[in-house]
Amino acid sequence: MDVTHYVIPDWKVVQDYLEILEFPELKGIIFMQTACQAVQHQRGWRQYNKLRSLLKDARRDCILFANEFQQHCYLLRERGESMEKWQTRSIYNAAVWYYHHCQDRMPIVMVTEDEEAIQQYGSETEGVFVISFKNYLDNFWPDLKAAHELWDSILQSRRERENESQESGGKEYPEHLPLEVLEAGIKSGRYIQGILNVNKHRAQMEAFVRLQGASSKDSDLVSDILIHGMKARNRSIHGDVVVVELLPKDEWKGRTAALCENDNEDKASGESSSEPMPTGRVVGILQKNWRDYVVTFPAKEEVQSQGKNAQKILVTPWDYRIPKIRISTQQAEALQDFRVVVRIDSWESTSVYPNGHFVRVLGRIRDLEGEIATILVENSISVVPFSEAQMCEMPVNTPENPWKVSPEEERERKDLRRTHLVFSIDPKGCEDVDDTLSVRTLNNGNLELGVHIADVTHFVAPNSYIDIEARTRATTYYLADRRYDMLPSILSADLCSLLGGVDRYAVSVMWELDKITYEIKKVWYGRTIIRSAYQLFYEAAQELLDGNVSIIEDIPEFKDLDEKSRQAKLEELVWAIGKLTDIARHIRAKRDRCGALELEGVEIHVQLDEKKNIHDLISKQPLEVHEMVAECMILANHWVAKKIWESFPHQALLRQHPPPHQEFFLELRECAKAKGFSIDTRSNKTLADSLGNAHDPSDPVVNRLLRSMATQAMSNALYVSTGSGAEAEFYHYGLALDKYTHFTSPIRRYSDIVVHRLLMAAISKDKKMEIEENLFSNKDLEELCRHINNRNRAAQHSQKQSTELFQCMYFKDRDPETEERCISDGVIYSIRTNGVLVFIPRFGIKGAAYLKNKDGLVLSCGPDSRSEWKPGSLQRFQNKITSATTGGDSLTFHLFDHVTVRISVQTSRCHSDTIRLEIISNKPYMIPNTELSHQSPLLLKSELVKEVTKSVEEAQLAQDVKVNTIQEEYQEYCQTKGRSLYMLLEEIRDLALLDVSNDHGT
Amino acid sequence: MAGLDLLSDQGYRVDGRRAGELRKIQARMGVFAQADGSAYIEQGNTKALAVVYGPHEIRGSRARALPDRALVNCQYSSATFSTGERKRRPHGDRKSCEMGLQLRQTFEAAILTQLHPRSQIDIYVQVLQADGGTYAACVNAATLAVLDAGIPMRDFVCACSAGFVDGTALADLSHVEEAAGGPQLALALLPASGQIALLEMDARLHEDHLERVLEAAARAARDVHTLLDHVVRQHVCEASLLLGD
Repeated sequence: MDVTHYVIPDWKVVQDYLEILEFPELKGIIFMQTACQAVQHQRGWRQYNKLRSLLKDARRDCILFANEFQQHCYLLRERGESMEKWQTRSIYNAAVWYYHHCQDRMPIVMVTEDEEAIQQYGSETEGVFVISFKNYLDNFWPDLKAAHELWDSILQSRRERENESQESGGKEYPEHLPLEVLEAGIKSGRYIQGILNVNKHRAQMEAFVRLQGASSKDSDLVSDILIHGMKARNRSIHGDVVVVELLPKDEWKGRTAALCENDNEDKASGESSSEPMPTGRVVGILQKNWRDYVVTFPAKEEVQSQGKNAQKILVTPWDYRIPKIRISTQQAEALQDFRVVVRIDSWESTSVYPNGHFVRVLGRIRDLEGEIATILVENSISVVPFSEAQMCEMPVNTPENPWKVSPEEERERKDLRRTHLVFSIDPKGCEDVDDTLSVRTLNNGNLELGVHIADVTHFVAPNSYIDIEARTRATTYYLADRRYDMLPSILSADLCSLLGGVDRYAVSVMWELDKITYEIKKVWYGRTIIRSAYQLFYEAAQELLDGNVSIIEDIPEFKDLDEKSRQAKLEELVWAIGKLTDIARHIRAKRDRCGALELEGVEIHVQLDEKKNIHDLISKQPLEVHEMVAECMILANHWVAKKIWESFPHQALLRQHPPPHQEFFLELRECAKAKGFSIDTRSNKTLADSLGNAHDPSDPVVNRLLRSMATQAMSNALYVSTGSGAEAEFYHYGLALDKYTHFTSPIRRYSDIVVHRLLMAAISKDKKMEIEENLFSNKDLEELCRHINNRNRAAQHSQKQSTELFQCMYFKDRDPETEERCISDGVIYSIRTNGVLVFIPRFGIKGAAYLKNKDGLVLSCGPDSRSEWKPGSLQRFQNKITSATTGGDSLTFHLFDHVTVRISVQTSRCHSDTIRLEIISNKPYMIPNTELSHQSPLLLKSELVKEVTKSVEEAQLAQDVKVNTIQEEYQEYCQTKGRSLYMLLEEIRDLALLDVSNDHGT
Repeated sequence: MAGLDLLSDQGYRVDGRRAGELRKIQARMGVFAQADGSAYIEQGNTKALAVVYGPHEIRGSRARALPDRALVNCQYSSATFSTGERKRRPHGDRKSCEMGLQLRQTFEAAILTQLHPRSQIDIYVQVLQADGGTYAACVNAATLAVLDAGIPMRDFVCACSAGFVDGTALADLSHVEEAAGGPQLALALLPASGQIALLEMDARLHEDHLERVLEAAARAARDVHTLLDHVVRQHVCEASLLLGD
């Protein structure tokens, strides 16, 4: 350990300041058993578990010393001695013993909050210092500002709480019922248990409780339960597990159908509710799911208006669904322009708002890094760099010390280096190549198809530091402009990446196919060594498939060959690609014949983990090689799923896609009817068929929208453990396969690592070899699945939010009145009482456009189809909305009508900026520049990201330039080494923008 | 308050022992002069006293006499003050009957009863303080008492309990660990031959785990044997000193 001293916190310090001790900078902490027991007995499970996970975290070098079990450390409690005094005395005694135990070499600092102890023990033993925690932070960590701030904020909030408990004001909320009453009530059916979901758009008023567990089975409630108003919500926060009591039927309310903006608390707008639904009130909270919240302090003017209690400040969380939090701090002014992380401490029934304390600063408001950090915290994603201990487990591969295939592995594995032509097809510039393909003719004339996946589990031992880290991350996070890897780059971009021309370990699935029917005769699973011959990209592969040989100029592997061998190699490769495509077609066709039909566009969506993001749907007809690779991966996943399920029927990890509820398709059917199509949603086959037929030749957007609606109506695919359900439940609705799992991307997904281990265990089970004891039991696997599903959801959200962030930054600096780009064509895809929802194909933006503004004026269009606001009224029908002015004009919008919208950005201080749409004409927008419209919007998206990143960097550069003008000039004259602006920008371009859409297959 | 965990992350039990560790055992032989054999044992806070009479003629009904071997008669009782809650236990209640029967089975397996046909051996055991593992303490005390009485045995009988918590087998359960309600196993072993004199468990435990729990109990019983052997040797030394050999 590289620490200068050991810290021993007193029991009180552990109880109250554990959060500070959790700072990764603080190392070498010795927790005494006495202190841990004080936490265990006097604080709740939550804090005790936090302490335990801190102790378990090998990165932190913290240990527990069981001082009460040590003969020389144990002290008897004296007669009349208080528990607190005894605990402090024991800890000090143990500290002294520990100091001598280390042969007086390592100074020990005991930190305590007990003044008397400091007096008494402070100078008793040389080398053992007893100081207060504040003193310790001041002396040892003067630069760790965050810790100091956290200390202040914890101290303050504790004082506040003490004060508050003394004064007993009027109650704002009814008390929660005791746990026994709640449990009995749930059992008897009087109360209902569920998870609270706050409506993002009317966070003040509406929340829904989604039924959970046993209570959903026997009650006849189908829908969620509405919780109306903060009073009925009774201090529960979004995500809590709550217990609800239903109100009598005459008090039931309906949900609001009107569009609204969040910031104006419109309590009066009860005008347009749908029909009443079950309504209830919260009587107790079973489990609080409080996490870290990102908040913004009010601007200076607002602080003053809050009046006398300037110490207590109401801060606004970034997430609309979280109520304002009361923080007591003196740094309010300094923190005004920052995004800040806070934690909620308590919410008394006497207080309108919860109390919290300030934890740390993230970054400036509207600063790109700050906003990205906000998104990460809000999704509970923590991406610290990999630690030294973790990196130590990694193999080395440097020019001096290159990584080699070891002879033992060579013996164990099947060697495909000489026998098979293996190659990969990926997007251009891809670093982490998970999968490669091979095909060849066997001696008996049959074909052999092979899918070779990077053997990550060879490098990542179960329960090693890196394994634990990967498990916590669960997936690689792709944001709009960056990514956070699940594994260190030595693995993800080098040793596990199946690059061209180098030896790599792989896990392979190989099928023997009949030469004519392509029927699968045999399948083989196992570990192999491969050397990928070509690292192709999709476009090149497609060109080769189409017979366009000129593309070989772009393939580096062909560069250094003479004409003759080049020709031979090329023929071999073209044959392989052609054969693979042929096989893929056959497999697909066979699945079609069996009645299983893929929901093509839709499935790509779900699988891409990017659903609801239209970007991908827009992409033009995908290349055939895309489909070919995807089909091979699906085949491999399917066969591996079968294998592990057969070997481990109770503890295999599968991916399940439950069939959707029919009622969710209602909107889709209505919309389709408006256009004259009928959608049959009875089964996945009929749905796919009817979606395929619902094609409007004059408007391709209609089909895309319908497909995306169908996607939204479906539930997400999830990971499950096979021990926790019946076999029929593992059906994959989207792919129409009885069993499916994820096997083909172990570099980016932890689920695949688990599946790899299962497959290896299954193989050794077949060989009657001993299975290593590292498989998860059903219970652990269920827990793990829940965690991975959770992280995947977080990854999706963060990706979506970061995309929106970039969209807003893109449009923010443009003047919507003048700039041509801000005006675009939009399609109406949903009708609400006071407006419509519009989809803009060019930018892939969805948003609301109002037909009635805040002054009660409605939109109308004159003869030149320019819109203006006039007094009038709105009338909503099934699939159209009409605005009639008092002047007698009327204007009707139908579903799927094209309109011209102006895009502007609505800035918000406390929340993320939002895109705002305004209908400026009821005619489709004619794009003057036709070239633009033909560009793939996908390209546009990455361009957009690029542009924003660049402008941010430029702004930063401009600042730097000011500071370093002189140096800058020097460089200009020398013009040799050093970074020029051009180089920097080039570098940024390289760094940025990984194409997320490259997730084929999965 | 967060509850108690029987096995901490660091692998300590509530009283600071490791999983396979025994409590401190102290024992003495020959505590009473009147009886043929007697012994007193402390296993942690569990304290038990055992007294042996015999072999002697059958008392009471002669019909009980066995033609080929001695009759072993065991009686178990527990002091009213032995548990946390003072409770009168009438003689012959279900629990002490059962315990007596188990002791009898154990010692019939160990004592060479065929050497004393038509006679009787009485073993009386009293628990003075119960803190888990009473059966084991009784067996261990009785072994010493039988040895003290000079009755020939095949081997020592050493007993120990074991439990199963969070995938780990715990040896020599204390009262707190017993009260937590996990599976609990009592084993009496003849250590030299490794034969089992008695094995008892009345809880559900998965078959896969049984091996490990049994192994833990057997190892603990062997440890007990080492300790008891030491006690016996010491006792013999002292006695021979007194006799002036």
